[in-house]
Amino acid sequence: MANKNFKLEIWRQDGPNTEGKFETFNIEINEHASFLEMLDQLNEDIMNEGGRPVEFDSDCREGICGSCGCMVNGAAHGPERETAVCQLHMRTFQNGETITVEPFRAKAFPIVRDLVVDRNAFDRIQEKGGYISVNTGPKPDANAIKIGKQRADEAMDAATCIGCGACVAACPNASASLFVGARLKHFGLLPQGAPERGRRTLRMVEQMDDEGFGACSNIGECEAVCPKGISISAIGHMKRDYLFANLGFHK
Amino acid sequence: MSALKKMLFSSIGKKYIMAVSGLGLVGFLVTHLAANLLLLTGNPDLLNGYGAGLKSTLGPLFYPAEAALVGLFLVHIILAIYINVAGKKAARPIGYAKAQRGKGGESKFGLAGSNMLITGGLLAFFLVVHLWQVRYQVQFGSKFRTMLNGEQVGDLYRYCDEIFASPLMVVFYVGVMLFLGLHLRHGFWSAIQSLGAMKPEWSKSIHALGLIIAILFAVGFLIIPIWMHFGMAARLFQ
Amino acid sequence: MTLNSGIPEGPLKEKWDNFKSNMKLVSPANKKKKKIIVVGTGLAGASAAATMGELGYNVDAFTILDSPRRSHSIAAQGGINAAKNYPYDGDSVWRLFYDTIKGGDYRSREANTYRLAQLSTNIIDQAVAQGVPFAREYGGDLANRSFGGAQVSRTFYAKGQTGQQLLLGAYSALMRQVDAKKAGGEGVPGVTMYTRREMLDLVLVDGVAKGIIVRNLITGDIERYAADAVLLCTGGYGRAYFLSTNAFNSNGTAAWRAHKRGAFFANPCYVQIHPTCIPASGNYQSKLTLMSESLRNDGRVWVPKSKEDAKAIREGKKTAADLKESDRDYYLERKYPSFGNLVPRDVASRNSKTMCDDDLGVNPTGRAVYLDFEREINAQGFNTIKDKYGNLFDMYKKIAGEDPYKTPMKIYPAVHYTMGGLWVDYSLMSNIPGLFVLGEANFSDHGANRLGASALMQGLADGYFVAPHTVGNYIATENPSQVDTSHPAFDAAENDTREYFQSIMDVGTKNEKNKHGRTVIDIYRELGHIMYDSVGVSRTKEGLEDALQKIPKLRESFWNDLKIPTETGKFSKYIEVAGRTADFLELSELMARDALEREESAGGHFREEHQTEDGEARRVDDKFSYVAAWEWKGRNEPHVLNKEELVFENVKLTQRSYK
Repeated sequence: MANKNFKLEIWRQDGPNTEGKFETFNIEINEHASFLEMLDQLNEDIMNEGGRPVEFDSDCREGICGSCGCMVNGAAHGPERETAVCQLHMRTFQNGETITVEPFRAKAFPIVRDLVVDRNAFDRIQEKGGYISVNTGPKPDANAIKIGKQRADEAMDAATCIGCGACVAACPNASASLFVGARLKHFGLLPQGAPERGRRTLRMVEQMDDEGFGACSNIGECEAVCPKGISISAIGHMKRDYLFANLGFHK
Repeated sequence: MSALKKMLFSSIGKKYIMAVSGLGLVGFLVTHLAANLLLLTGNPDLLNGYGAGLKSTLGPLFYPAEAALVGLFLVHIILAIYINVAGKKAARPIGYAKAQRGKGGESKFGLAGSNMLITGGLLAFFLVVHLWQVRYQVQFGSKFRTMLNGEQVGDLYRYCDEIFASPLMVVFYVGVMLFLGLHLRHGFWSAIQSLGAMKPEWSKSIHALGLIIAILFAVGFLIIPIWMHFGMAARLFQ
Repeated sequence: MTLNSGIPEGPLKEKWDNFKSNMKLVSPANKKKKKIIVVGTGLAGASAAATMGELGYNVDAFTILDSPRRSHSIAAQGGINAAKNYPYDGDSVWRLFYDTIKGGDYRSREANTYRLAQLSTNIIDQAVAQGVPFAREYGGDLANRSFGGAQVSRTFYAKGQTGQQLLLGAYSALMRQVDAKKAGGEGVPGVTMYTRREMLDLVLVDGVAKGIIVRNLITGDIERYAADAVLLCTGGYGRAYFLSTNAFNSNGTAAWRAHKRGAFFANPCYVQIHPTCIPASGNYQSKLTLMSESLRNDGRVWVPKSKEDAKAIREGKKTAADLKESDRDYYLERKYPSFGNLVPRDVASRNSKTMCDDDLGVNPTGRAVYLDFEREINAQGFNTIKDKYGNLFDMYKKIAGEDPYKTPMKIYPAVHYTMGGLWVDYSLMSNIPGLFVLGEANFSDHGANRLGASALMQGLADGYFVAPHTVGNYIATENPSQVDTSHPAFDAAENDTREYFQSIMDVGTKNEKNKHGRTVIDIYRELGHIMYDSVGVSRTKEGLEDALQKIPKLRESFWNDLKIPTETGKFSKYIEVAGRTADFLELSELMARDALEREESAGGHFREEHQTEDGEARRVDDKFSYVAAWEWKGRNEPHVLNKEELVFENVKLTQRSYK
């Protein structure tokens, strides 16, 4: 149970419209603490000195809610793959290392304060068709729709997205293609989603563009930083479906 | 806005255009490379004849075809600048202080994938130089004319022979072809992905195919200046 | 005060149908004039808001998070129960009902629990229609697995992320209604979503719930919203223990503030301690991570037979692999031959604690037992196990730094779910007319202990199928008068909220000046220690009395020593936490008091004075077969106990036995 020392360079920005700058801190912490527990400890230290704590989002702290997220040493969610920053542990870092912490940056993700960003753009995309239009009420028996295991698993792999926004943060163009592609692939693969497949694709893509996300350059860094490892084949799916929707093959 | 216009102006539509124009240019490169390889034979008539043949075969369609090719280049270049400069800046007005680090795996973050604008930009610059050289100087100038089958045609062979006598030119051409390789290395795979034509199971194979294509074109083109500089045809065939 | 549970007439199996046959309906033209407030957008809240929007109501939905998709329902891993009987292994609605009521140690309402079992099958149909990608067999049918406390396979799952997929299903239905509202505008039904809003007060007009006061967490503004009915879907209060599997932002504030406005708080001592969590490793720990209970299907729980071996393992001199089969005590299989590793959660948790109390714990803190997959990896093959639990194993490896394919997991119980909550009648309405409470925030369906894979079931049953009918019935029957936010009651409530909020800030400002005090986390963490020690897995009279001494002192410390950022007009997490901690400092006292007065053991509430010779929970049915519904009387007044007697007409109360 060794303690380690770190030098932290953290982006501080008081509000959406104020200038920000880096602030330097030193901290000693147990290597088995998580990255966010390290920030917790830092905030305790700051508050005990009468300073303003570093604001960051987090909730479940087990990598499923998608609340947390920041750039750690130039990588979204830090250096580990398939890991949200809440599941990153300080044992990953070398004693004495300098760690740079920045917020996710994109026009569509305005900064709220420090490391907290506003990701409501994702909700607004979801509103435009990220659903299957069924009302609550009597439905056919669940087993009346047969879906083969492979297809169900593929849909699940796309549906596993936690909406953290790391894909946007890591993309050189700040594109939301992986997020939107994953939503479209999940619904597109299932028979339940077929009736509104084209409309869904057109509306969600339009909203994605309206939010100010960039275009996809097929770099694939989004997949590398995705805490759930969602494949960019979801983006391919979106591009195919967008073409088919425009050509009228999907209604 | 009509549906078609809306599609083509969307972020995905622009990439369709990039992909289609890019693949079109790859198609052009196939014919271009095939023709250029005629230089390796050391027989000036073959390439000069090809050039003249192209013009006579296409007849009145030659200039429209050439204009279409120029258009293909322009669309590809202008859109690339729009997406990668203006688009990037608009989507992320404030960049990261700490340089981004790739996380590896299937990510194409790296030399080829991340520098398409730079490799593409160099190719565009080369294109201007190259056009000035082989199109303007050879076809419109009076210096490089020759007679073939009783007709006056541009002497492409002699022109190449002269410029590749300069080691500087050889280095320039070879360097640019390496950039072409890098550009194709990401570009080919990327075009397939952009068009949504990628079957996930084929992704790795197509990425590998992109590497093969990149190597074939880069090597195919860069071998020519070296070959001519050292007079390989004369050494081997005569 | 007598509590009327409003259970409909008729045989158990017909009660819900009778209710629906007799309920009054709101006309479609009237519905869109009716405003419904839904606080919280987890499974219960999102499903209720979406369904009410579909039905034609005007819904305002609120979440403290930046998106409804992040609500903590998302973290539920293992699955959702439904009496579909697809595996044809003898399941039925009755059996699910019976398992649930027995699992809850006969401290829940028969009628509510039966309705839950009835609706379970509809939930699966609904979720599949929405595109929830449940696990499937090769032939295309839905797959099932078994879960703790049941002898049939009735649990549906989506990898280890069932809660996520069900929440995203409800969230997508919710977003569809948000879209409908935005497209339609004023006067058109649908949902208006308010994110990053924290409910700080309930507004009553003549004793009827008419709205809420919220704080905008981005701007710090206090805002008011009026409605014809208010639905609280704000989850449980497990974060009273500081360390729990609950999320960082999970809290009891909305429920507690409603309680202080008159809603009764029922059975606060019923807390579920989940047996399979990753043990705490140090004092920086901010939360505990649950490993799905489904792991117990194939994992075997054990500790070394001898204390010497356990000590050697704790000191790192031996590893699990060094112990022969004969040196291991698979104590759940030994003590409960028919259920084995699948005993209910409370039984499993208590046994882990007993083993560790006996110095048989296996990690450096002495607070962990093994969960071993070796036999099943050998029997079923590496790939089968990987397919079933791959993501859980990965998660464990990430957190604990050990590979569970090679070495057994270490697990220990952690607070996970609170069965207690605001008192509600059969219609899910609290004793305040117009205030409905859904999901974990109410007390109604699980009794003293909740079976695995039943929380998702309850949240969705309440939200999709119960509340939309019962709220409509309330509106049609009572025809509540419509008020808007200019009503003086809103002024008064907003003033109260501002004053209370300011009183917390004043403590911070005073201490800032004097360079004195302790951080809110420091106080909060101490509360957690008190609660774990005295109101945890097992409880004693002395311990509870001790807690009842310590909690008020700690509360005093909060109101004197609190140190927090005092800039209120901006996003500030610690200001939020301070308000929630203040509420937990009151709620936890009530939990201890309830635990002290319930002189029996039942489900998650284990009083050491009341156990069988085998160390099992012993209920005292003749004295405690009631719901303890606590009434707030004021800040310096003790709570008053109201009782709702539980009537069992269909099941015979027996001593639970999983032998």
